[in-house]
This record gives sequence, C-alpha cells and structure tokens, in this order.
Amino acid sequence: MTQSGQPVIRVADLKKYYGDVKAVDGVTFEVARGEVFGMLGPNGAGKTTTIEVLEGLRGPDAGTVEVFGLDVCKHPESIKQRIGVQLQSVSLYPRLTVTELLDLFGSFFDHHVPTKQLIDAVDLGERAKAYSMNLSGGQQQRLSIALALVNDPDLVFLDEPTTGLDPQARRSLWDLVKGLQEKGKSVMLTTHYMEEAAELCDRVAIMDHGRILEMGTVPELIGRRFKERAVFFDTSPKLPPEKLAQLGGVTRASQEDGQTLLYSKDVPATIGALLAMADELDFQPHNLGIRQATLEDVFLDLTGRALRD
Amino acid sequence: MKTLLGLTVANLKGLTRDRAALFWTFFFPVMFVLLFGVLFSGSGDSSKITVGYVDLDHSAASAQVRADFALYAPILVLQDGSLDAEKAAMQNGDVSAVIVIPAGLGNVVGSTPGQPLAMTIYIDPSQSQTTQVVQGAVNGVASGYSMAVATNGGAPALIVAQPQQLSSTNISTVTYLVPSILAMALMQLGVFAAVPLVQQREKGILKRMGATPLERWKLVASNILLRLIVAAVDTVLIIGIGMAAFHIQIVGNLVLAAGFVFLGAGAFLALGFMLASFLKTEEQATGVVQVVQMPLMFLSGIFFPFNFMPDFMRSIARLLPLTYLGDGLRQSMVNAPQVAPLAMDAAILGGWLVVCLAISARSFRWE
Repeated sequence: MTQSGQPVIRVADLKKYYGDVKAVDGVTFEVARGEVFGMLGPNGAGKTTTIEVLEGLRGPDAGTVEVFGLDVCKHPESIKQRIGVQLQSVSLYPRLTVTELLDLFGSFFDHHVPTKQLIDAVDLGERAKAYSMNLSGGQQQRLSIALALVNDPDLVFLDEPTTGLDPQARRSLWDLVKGLQEKGKSVMLTTHYMEEAAELCDRVAIMDHGRILEMGTVPELIGRRFKERAVFFDTSPKLPPEKLAQLGGVTRASQEDGQTLLYSKDVPATIGALLAMADELDFQPHNLGIRQATLEDVFLDLTGRALRD
Repeated sequence: MKTLLGLTVANLKGLTRDRAALFWTFFFPVMFVLLFGVLFSGSGDSSKITVGYVDLDHSAASAQVRADFALYAPILVLQDGSLDAEKAAMQNGDVSAVIVIPAGLGNVVGSTPGQPLAMTIYIDPSQSQTTQVVQGAVNGVASGYSMAVATNGGAPALIVAQPQQLSSTNISTVTYLVPSILAMALMQLGVFAAVPLVQQREKGILKRMGATPLERWKLVASNILLRLIVAAVDTVLIIGIGMAAFHIQIVGNLVLAAGFVFLGAGAFLALGFMLASFLKTEEQATGVVQVVQMPLMFLSGIFFPFNFMPDFMRSIARLLPLTYLGDGLRQSMVNAPQVAPLAMDAAILGGWLVVCLAISARSFRWE
C-alpha cells in the first residue's frame, strides 16, 4: 500500500452491544485514501453494525470512530455530505422512477452529480423512466449504487453489494467498484464471498463474533497461514481421518462439504503416500487435485467453519 | 425549502400512483357523499312543512288571514303559539319557519294607503326549499288579503312579508351528513398515514434517508404537508359535490371551518404517527388501522345525529375524537345543533394532537 497522508477511516476499539449481544466487540482498523477495504465474515459477524456506525446510523458504545479525521458522533452532517452509502437490502419508494429517485436524493446534498451522468455510469439508461419496484434485482442494486454516488462522495460504503445477484450481475457490479477506485475514491465494503474480496479488495479484515481475526492483503493472509498447498479429493468413508494427517508431507488435514483437504509441504510425497494407502484400503480417490491455499482456507482455518451465505 | 418541496412532491407522486391509496383518500368519501346524498335528498321536502304562527293582533282581520292560509294546508301546517315559544321551537328544529302577524292589522284596513304593514317571517336561508315554500305562501296570502280588503280597484299592498334570518337546527339529512363525511375523510387520511410510514420503515427507506444529510424534521414536515394538501383537496371535493349535487348551503364561518379542517387533519395525523410508532409490519399496520377507524366511523355520530343515539352509545361517542371533529365541522359549516361548544371541540382535538405527537416523538423508531 502506497497511499500516504491521513486515513479516511480510523476506528479504534469500537464496541457496540445490543443488550447481552456483543455485535461489535473491540474492533480496530484504518482505511487509507484510495483504498478498497473489505470486511469478510459470515452473517452476524458484526460487519453491518461496524459499517452503520461509520455511516452515522448508529452510535458506538465505546471506542474512537473517525471519518475524514472527523468524529462521527460530533460531525455527522458534514461527514454525510461526503460519503456515499449503499445499505444491505433496501428497497426505495416503489412508485418513483429511477430519474425521480436520483433527483430526490441529489436534492438532499449541497452538491450533486447530474442525474443523467449517474444513470449512464450504472448503465440504467433504458430503465430511467421505470418505477423502482419494476426493476430486476441487479438493476435495483445498480440504482442503489447510483444513489450512493449522487453526491460524488470521497468514500463509498457498500454493504453486501452483490448478495442475491446472479454471476453476471455480480461481475458488472465488480466493474463498477473497480471504476470507483480508478477515480480515486476510497471504498469500504462487506461481503461474504471470498472471491469478491479477493477480486476487489486491497486489504481484507476477517471478522467473526464481533472481532477482527486477521487483517492484511489477500496474499499476506494466505502466506501468513499457509506455506503449504492443498491436495483435495472426494471424502471416502474407507479412509480413517486420523491416518491422513500422518501421510508424508501433510501438516494438517480437514474434511468439509464431502471434500478432504490435505495441506502439504511436499505434494509429490503426499500424493505417493495417499495412492499407496488407497491401494491398501482398496478405494479410488475421486476428483483428486492440487491447488494453492485460498482465502477460503484462511477463513476455515481461523473460524473452523466455512463461509457461506 | 427546495428539499422539503421535493420530498412532498415525491410523496404526492407515491400517493397518486397508488390506486388503492387513491381510492381510500379520494373516491371513498366522494362515494359516500353521492350514496347518502341520493338516499336522503328529498326526504325532508316531500312531507308537509310545519310553521310557527304567531298572532299579535287578535282581531277579525287577523282571523281572516289565518283562514286564508287554509289554501296552503296541503304543504303547510300551522302551529299557533307565542313569539318566544315559536322562535324557540324553530331553533330547536320543531318548526321550519315562524310567521308573525303584526299588531294593528285590523286598523290598517281603511287607513292611508302607501304604508304597508310589515309581516315578519323568520326563515333559515340554509334551507332554501323550505324558505321558498314559506315565502311563497306568505306572499300569496298577503296579496290576496290586500286585494280582498281594498274594494276600490288597483289595491296597494296593505301588508308585505319581511323575512328575517333565524338559524334553525332542523337541517336536512344531507346537510348534516356532508360535513360528517368530511370529518370521516379527514380521520381516515390521518389514521391511514400510519401505513406508508410503517412501510417506509420496514423497507429501510427511512434508514436510507438517515444516511443522507437530510434533516429528520423535513421528513416529518413533508409528511404533514402532504396530508394537509390532501385534506384541502378532500374538503373541496366533498363540500363541492354536496353543494352542486345536493344543494347543501354552507352558511357558517369559513375561516372557522377551515380551522377545523386543518386541526382535525392534524389531530388524526398525530394519531396515525402514534400508531406507526407501535406497529412493525405493513400487514399489522393495515389491520390495526381498520380496527381503529371502523369504530370511530360508526360510533361518532357521523351517520346518525347525536340526539338519535341511545344513551350508552352517546357516552361512547363522547370519548371519541371524531365526534368533536364532526361536531366542529357541522357547527361551523351548516349551523347544525351542537354536541359540545365549539371551543370544547377545538380543545379536545388540540389535546389529542398534542398527546399523540408527544407519544410519537418519544416512541417513533426510524428503523
């Protein structure tokens, strides 16, 4: 990361409780100017609560929260003039058109981008006169991104921008986010898609149970935990799990979703030993393959569970 | 200001593009006016009109005039009594007009022509048809009498009718109903406002607005502004149809009436805000709003005059705010008999407004 100067977001020891539930339990991070920062975690990890504190929608119970160097509790209005917000699963006034909604939201800000330009930016030209309730899921999501950009913000918050979208709509949204970064905007997004975080984010924080477990660039996170590569194949009941960890080169073994994973420092030795054992126990390792460790492996390793919708 | 107007226009578009909302806000009350108007108009006019008859002269001449009215027996029923008694009877609605035969009728015959004697008739201009019938009869009798007495042709008028206004409470059913239906419409537009509010919260629209620099008071103000615009449109529609189609006459104080329209809309809007504070889902809101508005509609003396209700219903009605809006509107628009003094109507509505707003301010949740 080569960004210099003051961070756009600075959070130190943020806590937010709902009764006995510690939604956010001591979170610390910074986001640099021009950076795309991702928060990764399962539902209920505390991602949305963290982002809503930053947006000024919730007050923190403890900790320091600054945006553009301003305290979110003391200067919510001037912060709101300069941030763009896309909330998780919000529908809008159902019977206003795309153009009307953008005009309306624009009127809330001191300065705003011409509506036509926004519509073109998110490629909704053909639907400019359609009621928001008649848009498809992907179009609604693009509209809510356009609404987040209505004030030409310096910092954009995207809370699960692609949840529920088909792969094609997801890709087109990724292009939008990359475009934002090219224009020099800072972006903070949450997601529970590993590939999305890997594709878009300069840095990623992995969150669970209200805490940040690990933070860094994607290669850093993988490299920190995995010097090994993974040998994988369909799990077979004939294989005793405790024996797998003793195969040559294997540092760790796990079984998840019908797949067995052997993390190995010496892949040829591991495969040789695996095939020998397969012969002995009379089974065929189906769908055998080798790959680098991924963010998914990091998450699995950190939380002991897979990151799923 | 621009923001406030923009928001109000957005809300207005949301309303006018929603057919169900349009139906309840505009067509439903209009339908009520048309329905009740057709049902009840004419019912009061077909039967005979009872008129108070006061003879201050007690002469042979006045007895003659009394006898002349027999010609109008098919449409007029005369009820004899003292001036005070008959005027009171008219104010109570027992008679529709009062005819006063002045003292000195006997002497006018043979006296100097050119100074006709005034025969006062008390009429209520808000009841045009009754007034026409009574005036027609009185003029007929007066000129007939003048001609019969004056034997030397080309008779000058000896007596002439001199109308005086006196408010009667005996207003026609339609005249009673139209301001009542307006009260119902204002109640509904206020209470129903809870539904879009709950919907906007449930959908996260209110929360999304909270993430912009838009001040919350503007969001509230635009909602109030929208409903007051609708209240004004409803008033013009309902009263306009009442006047055009059913000839009701607005005789009261227009400023006072407008004051009650907005006070009433405000009070029930506050009630709507309060409901929205405690309701979570749109389904809940649609149901509860009906549970609130139905009893208000049927127990507040809107469709049947307060005095016709049995005692237990009257004591329930006295607890309901719609009773006082209906009363305030009827008194200020058509001089209907009062349920409570106007000041009390206003005070009770104002009280509801303040209490509901205070509760909403404490309990309303934006998400």
